[in-house]
Amino acid sequence: MSLRYRAISWNPQKRRYDAVMAASSGLYLALFVGVSAFTNPNATIETLLIRAFGTAALLLLHVILLIGPLCRLQPRFLPLLYNRRHLGVTTFVMGLAHGGFALFQFHALGDTNPLVSLLISNRRFDSLANFPFQPLGFIALVILFLMAATSHDFWLKQLSPVMWKRLHMLVYAAYALLIAHVALGVLQAETNPLLAGVLAAGMIVVLTVHLLAAQREHAMDKQPFETGFVAVCALGEIPEKRARVISLNGERIAVFKHDGKLSALSNVCQHQNGPLGEGRIVDGCVTCPWHGYQYLPETGVSPPPFKERVATYRVKLIDGVVYVNPEPVGQDGILSYTPSV
Amino acid sequence: MIQRLRKTHRLIFIALAVLLPLLFIAALAVRKPMPVNQPFPPQLLRTK
Repeated sequence: MSLRYRAISWNPQKRRYDAVMAASSGLYLALFVGVSAFTNPNATIETLLIRAFGTAALLLLHVILLIGPLCRLQPRFLPLLYNRRHLGVTTFVMGLAHGGFALFQFHALGDTNPLVSLLISNRRFDSLANFPFQPLGFIALVILFLMAATSHDFWLKQLSPVMWKRLHMLVYAAYALLIAHVALGVLQAETNPLLAGVLAAGMIVVLTVHLLAAQREHAMDKQPFETGFVAVCALGEIPEKRARVISLNGERIAVFKHDGKLSALSNVCQHQNGPLGEGRIVDGCVTCPWHGYQYLPETGVSPPPFKERVATYRVKLIDGVVYVNPEPVGQDGILSYTPSV
Repeated sequence: MIQRLRKTHRLIFIALAVLLPLLFIAALAVRKPMPVNQPFPPQLLRTK
């Protein structure tokens, strides 16, 4: 959390994350170019770079798309989510390098503007085998640019988390466009089954993991509409300083147990809609597992000087059973109880 | 609040799970064999 906007609020974890990412990307590019130059000595350096940057961008995009649903399914992946926006920016840079070299190699030597040439040189929209695949990659790159340019808390604040999230959901359109770009482009010429197999495997993994996570969320949302206090769980089912997440009337509510008290807050962090109920109480504050935004469990308000606030809900404890009223309240969503020994 | 986003995400991936494999299979199905250069006729290689 920070009161002032900075380009990047560096901390040791982010530095470590970025160092691993930069080293892995550099190693991948070097290995790809080195091995390809050895196995395909006739290829020019431009061709090798186009392929190296293109495959790196596609690989990174797969990793990015897997992080979100994996975290929903298995919290041990949460550290990968912490600095995902830097992965996104790196993907855009790799894609830009791929597009830049391709534009130079295939469109820059004629008498037409390279970008115009890219968009109009192939108009075989009626043929799948000869489909103009390059504009598909260009549109995907424009989407990745929009996402990279708005990958900052400044834009998150200006656009509102919901609008920002909607904008960033365009990544799924970019992914579909890139699959089409590769399948209708390089896979038409390169018949090595390994290439098609790797792309198919990546696509199957991404689709399966997202569908599994979506199905899990959907099952949780399918609850009947409730009024008044609703029994949600036994007190013993909530671990100390952690929460149990419930779904009432379409809203996710996190019921926290801490120091002999129970408090219920909206499960949606005000920063990037992270799942507060999967975080824990740190220094007396509910702490979002995604980026560490904090809220006082008693009021749902961030500790001063911060001003973020999440809704709170009334809680009851009867015979060891926790009840929550799905109607949000102001600041009195806390209940004290005597912890059993 | 974000239930609509969750629903949108689910619908997007149901659509992608149908469309992307179809596109992928169709793209592989229409592949044409790459033309192969024929060996140069030996008579053309002769020099005077």
